[in-house]
Order: sequence, then C-alpha cells, then structure tokens
Amino acid sequence: MGKELVDVNISHKFNGMSILEDINFKVNENEFLVIVGPTGCGKTTMANLLAGLVKPTDGGVTMNGEVISPKIHNISFVFQEPSCIPWRTLWDDIVIGLEIKKADPQTVDQRGKKVIQLVGLEGYEDYFPWQISGGMKQRVAIARAYATDPDFLLMDEPFGHLDAQTRYLMQIEIMRVWEKEKKTVVFITNNIEEAVYLATRIIVLSKLPARIKGEYHININRPRDLTSPEFLNMRLEITKQCEVVE
Amino acid sequence: MAFRYQEQMKTIFYNIVSLIGVAVLWSLFSWWQNSPFFPSPRAIWVAFVGLVSKGDVEGIGLGLHIWKSLVRIFAGFSAACVLGIPLGLLMGLYPKLYNRTRSVIEPVRFIPPIAWIPVAIVLLVGFSRYAFLIWLGAFFPIFITTLLSVTRVNPVHINVAKVFGASRLYIVRKIVFPSVLPDIATGMRVGLGIAWMCIVAAEMIGGEMVGIGRLILKYAELIRMAEIIVGMLVIGIIGFIMNEIFIIVERRIFRWRSQVSID
Repeated sequence: MGKELVDVNISHKFNGMSILEDINFKVNENEFLVIVGPTGCGKTTMANLLAGLVKPTDGGVTMNGEVISPKIHNISFVFQEPSCIPWRTLWDDIVIGLEIKKADPQTVDQRGKKVIQLVGLEGYEDYFPWQISGGMKQRVAIARAYATDPDFLLMDEPFGHLDAQTRYLMQIEIMRVWEKEKKTVVFITNNIEEAVYLATRIIVLSKLPARIKGEYHININRPRDLTSPEFLNMRLEITKQCEVVE
Repeated sequence: MAFRYQEQMKTIFYNIVSLIGVAVLWSLFSWWQNSPFFPSPRAIWVAFVGLVSKGDVEGIGLGLHIWKSLVRIFAGFSAACVLGIPLGLLMGLYPKLYNRTRSVIEPVRFIPPIAWIPVAIVLLVGFSRYAFLIWLGAFFPIFITTLLSVTRVNPVHINVAKVFGASRLYIVRKIVFPSVLPDIATGMRVGLGIAWMCIVAAEMIGGEMVGIGRLILKYAELIRMAEIIVGMLVIGIIGFIMNEIFIIVERRIFRWRSQVSID
C-alpha cells in the first residue's frame, strides 16, 4: 500500500442540519477507494468537500499536509451530472484542465492524444457534445479528468445517469484505464456491486447524518467476476452492513 | 439531405402562397369597399413607385427615408447593446448589485417609450432624441436577457473549471460568457424588433422631415392611405430581412448548439 496522500477529518453542517459527522479516514497513494452510502446521505457534499470546492464547517481535508485546494493541488473531478461543455469540441473539452493549468502546447497535444486513446474516443475529437451518447459523454469527463495527470481523482457517482448496460461497460472501462495509469481515486457510489467490482478499499456510510459504518479491503483478483462466490460474499456482507438499523 | 431540401422548398412555396393569398384577399376587399381608405395592392405599388422615383410631397425619395431611419435605428440599437450587455453581465455576476437597485431599474422597464416623448423633447435635441427613444425600446430586452442568462449558467460547467483551479476571470471569459452568448443574441434580436417599433414615435419628435416614421406621419396628415401603407410595409420588410440575417448569423456562430430552435 502506498503512502498516505489525503487526510480527511471532517464534520459538516448545512443550514444548521448535520450532514456529515466525524468522518475520519485517509486516502493512500494509488488506491481505488470507494465510498458507498445510501441516496441522500451527503455523498455529493462529501465529494465537494474532498475536492476543496466547499469548506467543511468543522475540521478539514489535507493533502500532503496542506489544506486541500484546487488552486494548489492537482485535483480532478468527474461529476455526477453530464458535464460536457456544449460549445467546446470533445478535444477542447478534454484539454480544458491543461489549458487552465497553462500547460505548454506540446504537453497539451501529447496528453490529449493519450487520454483520448485511453478512453477510446479517437476520431471524435471534433464532435460537439450534442452529437454523442451519454456513455461517450462520461468517457469525455473521465478523459478530461485524466488529462491533467491528477494527484487526486474524485468521481462522484459518475455512472449514475447511465443505463445498466452502459454502466457495466463503463465500470470495465474505468478499471482498464486505472490499471493502465494508476491514480489515487476516491469513487463515490450508492451501488454496492459497483463498489465491490472497482474498489481496493470500501468505506460504508450510514444514512443522514452520515457516519462511517464500516471499512473493507477488497483483495479479489482482477478482472473481477461479478458472479464468483467471493465476490457475492463480499457484496452480501456489505449489503447487510448497509441494512443494519442503528 | 434530399429530404431537408425538399422540406425547405415546401416552406418557401407555402410562404409565397400565403403572400399571394393575402394580396388576393386584400384586392377583393378594397374592390368591394371601393374607397380611398382601402387602396388596392396595385394602388400601393403605384404609390411605392412614385415615392421611389419622384419622392414624397417635399421631393424626398424613399431611399433617403429608409437610410435615415436605418442610421437612427443603428445608433439607438448599438447604444442599447453597448450598455445592456456589459450591465447585464455585471449585474448577473454580482446579483447583489441588481437586487439592491431593483426598485430603480424595474419600474423604468414598464414605462413605454412613447411616454418618454415629452421628456425627450424637453431634455434632448436633434439626433439624440431619435437615438434615446430607440435605445429605450431596445435596452431592456437586451439587458434583462443577458442578466437572466448569467444566473442560469450551468453550475457544473463552472465547477469543471473551478476544480482545475481556474481563476474568476477565466470562469467569466471561458465559461460564463460563451454560455450566455446565445441568449444575448436572442435579446439583441428582440431588442432590434422593438427598436423598429419605436421608430415612428422617435421620428414624431425628431424635427427632421425625413425618415420612414416621418413619411407615415406626413401622409397621415394628408390622409393618403397608399403612401402610409408603403411606409408600414417598408418597416415590416426591413425588420424581417434584418431578423433573417440575424438568424443566419446565429446559426453560423452557434453551430455547437443542437438543432437551433430559433425560427
């Protein structure tokens, strides 16, 4: 296991209502940490807090010892809702992070080409978002997040909007991309199967106000078989944990 | 592609049919009435030719009338854009600025340009009177659409930039501005329409005896309907052509939008 990269130590209130309570965990370098929680438990709030887009009302998130901020750290984010920028071609969209970080044209070109290939969007560089499918839009979002070679990659239910089949294909895809280019990932989802399929480690959250209910290290060999006994056992265990009434 | 072409031909065909239909009905009506107050399309055509070749009662040609009006519209409309777009952007980006001055801005919006005529006469002279009245009409649609559009920028697009550490300036230039641009164009198109609607009112008080609005007023005093209708049609047709040009330009610029539904 890699060294500790991100240290999370937060409680968060919104309009006086407690959303997150005593959420303490660390994210290790190059791990694929999945956070599972029921709908409406503050997962998106947590993602925004982790990315430094929102400040917690209590505690803080640090990365390499510094308070996390997109201005200092090289963070990427894959959003839950479709996030393609309508007036940009896929190419311009994918390299937007490099543009913001003022990378030199050569890097932009190299990195852009590499990630487009990585997510299999070659030939679509000049398309506009309205011309492509939902699954492809999510690939663009992933390519865009990967393009800046982030130290910390957050994914907030990135496949939540996709149909079951596309979702499954995207899970395979994201694993393929991650294995080719290891990144420190925090992946947020409400889907336990998805969590077990992707994670090196899973953190389970409770209902609102969210607390950490459990933590699992997933050591099943990849590519994981969704129907193997060890996979199903793991899934069952986490499902049970989620159903425990407090 | 062939299908789309066919569809376009059909559209053009039916538009021509509609035009002819209206002309026929109009002819029948004026024939039935047989009155100088309902000139036939033929009489209107004759009046048009007369205005072009010999000019109006003072010998001013139709071309000059049109030109003068165009210049005035352009002046008022440009002023509306130059003020309305930046102000809309500014107040959209700083909603407090708008919210705290709302009671000043909003009531002004409901005062019709015609109601401003006495004020314009007292305070302004010459060309500025025309420009002011047209500006009044065009400013609010441009300002309000820009303002509202800024508040409706998709927050995800802003967050996409934010998470990469983008500056505020970058977000305004590269996210907010391109995303409100189509709405600004729509506001401009609406503003241009209203600018044309204000031309008669503006030329009532401008003093100069030239301009399409003035032409209508001149012949209104003489109760010569054919020339009045020529003036009306000229306004309608020029407005229509400008709007069509606008739409074509919009389609070109905003090619990234899916089926641009602006017609």
